[in-house]
Amino acid sequence: MPIWVRAEGTKTIAVLFDGLTSEFLVAGMDAMQADLDSRGFKMLQAISNRDDNVQFEQVKSMIANKVDGIVIFHTDSNAVIPAIRAANEANVPMVHFNRPPAESDAYSVAVVADNRGITKTTVQYMVDKARASGRKYKAAILIGDLGDVNAIGRRDGFFDAVDPASDIIEVVARIPTEWNADKAFSGLTNALQANPDIDFLFASSDFMIPLIEQVLTPLDKWHPAGDPKHVMFGSFDGDSGAYAALESKHLDADGVQDLFFEAKASVDLILEMANGEKPAKIFPDPGFAITQDNLMTERDRMWGYSQWKKKNG
Amino acid sequence: MAYLQVENISKSFFGVPVLHGVGFTLERGEILGLIGENGSGKSTSMNILGGVHQPDAGQMTIAGETYAPASSRDALERGISFIHQELNLFPNLSIEENLFIRGFPRPRPWLPVIDRKRIRRRTEQLLDMIELKVPPSTLVSRLSQGERQLVEIAKALSTDAKIIIFDEPTTSLTRREIDRLFNIIARLKAQGIGIIYISHILGDVERLADRVAVLRDGMLIGAGPIGEFSVDRMISMMVGRSISQLFPERSRARTSEVVLEVMGLTQPGMIRDVSFTISRGEVLGLSGLLGAGRSETARIIFGLAPYRSGSVKVLGKPLQANHPRAAMEAGIAFLTEDRRGEGLMMNAPIYDNLALPNLDTHARPQTGWIDRTTLALRAEELSRRVRLNAADIASVLARNLSGGNQQKVVLAKWLMRRPDVFILDEPTRGVDVGAKAEIYKIINTLVEDGCAVLMISSETEELIGMCDRILAMSNGEVRATFEREDFDQERILEAAMQNGRREVA
Amino acid sequence: MTNLTEKLPSAGAVPSVQRPLWQRLLLSEYLVVLLCIVYFVAMLPIVPQIASLQTFQNILSDMLQLIVVALGQTVILIIAGVDLSMTAIIAMASVVGASVMTGTGGPLVGSPLATPAGILAMLGVGAAIGWFNGLCVARLRMPPFMVTLATTMFFSGVAIWYVTLKSTTTSIANLPRSFVVIGQGKIYGIPHSLWVAIAVGVAIHLILTRTVFGRQLFAIGNNRVTSEVSGVPVARRVHMAFVISGLCAAIGSILYTGRLETGSPIIGANILLDIIGAAVIGGTSLAGGKGKVIWTVMGVLFLVLLDQSLKLMGLTLFMVFAIKGAVILAAAIADAARTRLSGR
Repeated sequence: MPIWVRAEGTKTIAVLFDGLTSEFLVAGMDAMQADLDSRGFKMLQAISNRDDNVQFEQVKSMIANKVDGIVIFHTDSNAVIPAIRAANEANVPMVHFNRPPAESDAYSVAVVADNRGITKTTVQYMVDKARASGRKYKAAILIGDLGDVNAIGRRDGFFDAVDPASDIIEVVARIPTEWNADKAFSGLTNALQANPDIDFLFASSDFMIPLIEQVLTPLDKWHPAGDPKHVMFGSFDGDSGAYAALESKHLDADGVQDLFFEAKASVDLILEMANGEKPAKIFPDPGFAITQDNLMTERDRMWGYSQWKKKNG
Repeated sequence: MAYLQVENISKSFFGVPVLHGVGFTLERGEILGLIGENGSGKSTSMNILGGVHQPDAGQMTIAGETYAPASSRDALERGISFIHQELNLFPNLSIEENLFIRGFPRPRPWLPVIDRKRIRRRTEQLLDMIELKVPPSTLVSRLSQGERQLVEIAKALSTDAKIIIFDEPTTSLTRREIDRLFNIIARLKAQGIGIIYISHILGDVERLADRVAVLRDGMLIGAGPIGEFSVDRMISMMVGRSISQLFPERSRARTSEVVLEVMGLTQPGMIRDVSFTISRGEVLGLSGLLGAGRSETARIIFGLAPYRSGSVKVLGKPLQANHPRAAMEAGIAFLTEDRRGEGLMMNAPIYDNLALPNLDTHARPQTGWIDRTTLALRAEELSRRVRLNAADIASVLARNLSGGNQQKVVLAKWLMRRPDVFILDEPTRGVDVGAKAEIYKIINTLVEDGCAVLMISSETEELIGMCDRILAMSNGEVRATFEREDFDQERILEAAMQNGRREVA
Repeated sequence: MTNLTEKLPSAGAVPSVQRPLWQRLLLSEYLVVLLCIVYFVAMLPIVPQIASLQTFQNILSDMLQLIVVALGQTVILIIAGVDLSMTAIIAMASVVGASVMTGTGGPLVGSPLATPAGILAMLGVGAAIGWFNGLCVARLRMPPFMVTLATTMFFSGVAIWYVTLKSTTTSIANLPRSFVVIGQGKIYGIPHSLWVAIAVGVAIHLILTRTVFGRQLFAIGNNRVTSEVSGVPVARRVHMAFVISGLCAAIGSILYTGRLETGSPIIGANILLDIIGAAVIGGTSLAGGKGKVIWTVMGVLFLVLLDQSLKLMGLTLFMVFAIKGAVILAAAIADAARTRLSGR
């Protein structure tokens, strides 16, 4: 919203994303807009197109515009540090949306989804359902890039839920994907060749859902819940594809980063920092697991649902 | 009333008056020679006639009807065609494409296709008229200058021109091509086309024109039938005083010290076994037709072109390398044939042009730090010496100068180096009479001061007037040498036209 | 003076006193300064914070690193060439320098030699890539556009790959404080990068106006053949010009990297338009033969001022690109118009 719309007396928050190229970011921006609207605050938006230098200049401009706080989604976790310093120097509170910066002596707060906790809850739902069915399962997990702390968290959360249930669940495949669709595809195909009776699957991110469908369908394993050949399937993120898969009952549970929560928390934290408080540098988003059981009641909290609604009217 | 009547034309540019009440007439089938120095108003008058500019005052009529073109398209439509000195052809297109570039005919008006057959036929017709025996599909880049000019004439004829203006048509033509051109002009005249012929070569004007008009300082000085105008009279009217002698007197200061020695210079396809010497205070002329190898010889000596065998020595020492810098360090200067393309930086001020070959001699050797004061002083000095009447050499751009002044700038920049050898390739081409005389004076002073000069020229009279010895070249070889006592225009030309061997090496 | 001499200038060239005002303005050397002032005043009611100290500081710090790089481009524009590879050089120098200064387990971490070694490495990268560009353009006679386009694609990719060798993330951090302070540090509000920019500006100005090398560059841009005939060693000069351009990109990289405290392979990815645009807005001609340090500085000032005002207005990045592109296009048109007017 351009500058001339700013009225007197309301707070102005700058929301600086590095792009609007993914559903996640679009949903994030929508969430921010909705939250600020609900408080009657004004939003100043700027997109850096993945250029750290431009984003740094945008931060300085927003400081010159005397905004009351900055919510930032950066590109490079190292290169954002000078921007944090600049905000510190100008006493402008800065909160990182969903993505934390690298360690440094500069002060800012990052709202980060608790990947491990959310995954544990998600997989726990699947484990409980497995126990209720009374039989044993062979499990596989598609792991993200091991350099990504989020991927590690999700993997750990998976095992937090599955290890105590080792009596009914045997993990036969840990598939590294490096967050690459082709690697995920071939990794899963190979795992199924070695273990054709895998019937409990966790994908570390929703972007893998379409390719999983592609792998499972010719093997006659892509069936909705209720069908005897249904493979127990869980994933993480909360995008529109996951919503569709939940609705069609192919997906049992999805760990959701609660973007609405993260948006509200960001602004709350800014207000706290403006009051002189110094909250901890990491603020966890507990997220939630959306499952076939709570789909109808919880879907409004799922960011992918709002994007799915946009697409399907 | 004459077919074309131009009366009382005046024109100013930004408040500077350029034409004052110029007028002339032209009948159908008449050749009018238009002469005048550069700056006399010739080009402006023709531009007005051609619709490029509009006059501030005066009127023009064609066949009794008012003629006031707003653009060159209007002029074309009324039958006036302008053949410029720099031809307006596209070398990468064929003859027929060039002829119809203004508007390709279509088999049906609404079809976006070119009617190739019609173009082919018409082009063949036109080429026939001008006796150019080449296929219409020939690319213009493959034609000689003379042939290209004929194509321009064909272009004019294709627009059904009633008046054709020729601006300096013969500067890049061979003798044979000039004869052919004159034949064509005679035929055009017989067809009833009016011709305005602009040229510095007064002998040609004398030969061709029925009437003459002389312009000077933007005014018509005189006009009348050619019989009333001798070359001398034409010159004196052009410059406002009589020049009894075009070529200034010179003391024959030739010494015996050999400055430039060229031995057996050979480059297959270009020149073969060329040898000569030039002594201090001597002017050696190179005469020959186009393609004889004169410019090639000069460029090889100066290091702009390679050679297979032979040697070049200055003051007894051979040149260090085949590169202009080596030639310059040995004391050679070279005024090239193409001053616009090779001699000057057209978009730079005069000062920068003068400084260019003199930068390193006016700078500290290690750092290249220029001594601006000395360089500026020398530049001023040389400008005065060549009588370059520039208000401010630091701001006037080379491209705003007339041909004669441009040539003076090129001369001056080389003179600053105090060369021992000066090669001049067509030093007065495209230069009007007044500046020519000055350039000759400069050359003479140069020679008297001890320089050795190699002069290449297509005007035999010029060589006879300026040189101590003349070499005639043809087909890449030296055919004959003439001492001053034996100078004879016909014999020199004859030697230059000798064919000798067909191939060179 | 006899009637034989020519009078100058010939009819058609015009004494400047008689031109209409708009032509005088267009031809004036100070056009860009005028535009800056006019634009600034015009923006005051819309974005009053443009007149704040913070904004001035932002403009200054954004200008300085761009000036260094744009000056290198100016040198190449003068010889009627173009250097599209400057952004890749900035990226390459950034990651190489960062890796030298922070090499984990390497000898230099924490050592006082880290920063000088890093700087030398960066300058070396710039000179080397510039040298390669020059080789292709001057000796192999390839068109600068093609050569530098190929170089930029190649080295952009190499920079990204290089980072994967040296770091687990997409950039290299933990640069020594002594290096970072060059790009970031200030004394009494005056940034250190100012001195760097001034040094580069003065050096290039002196080279262009006072040395044989510099004047010969202008000649080459004006007419390569005439320069050749007048004894200029054209190939050598062109080669050297590209090395200078590479060095300027490297020095710029020192500033950009220092400011972001990060060796990043995508640093400066989007500034090519700014680099060339600033030079053209300032008055350096794309056709070669003309250019001045002060012109480029003014061009950078205008571009950064424009950029800042657009950021303050909160327009999206794509609007910013569109407006900047339009301005640079207008500058190029003005450049062509000036050439025509001044010649006549």
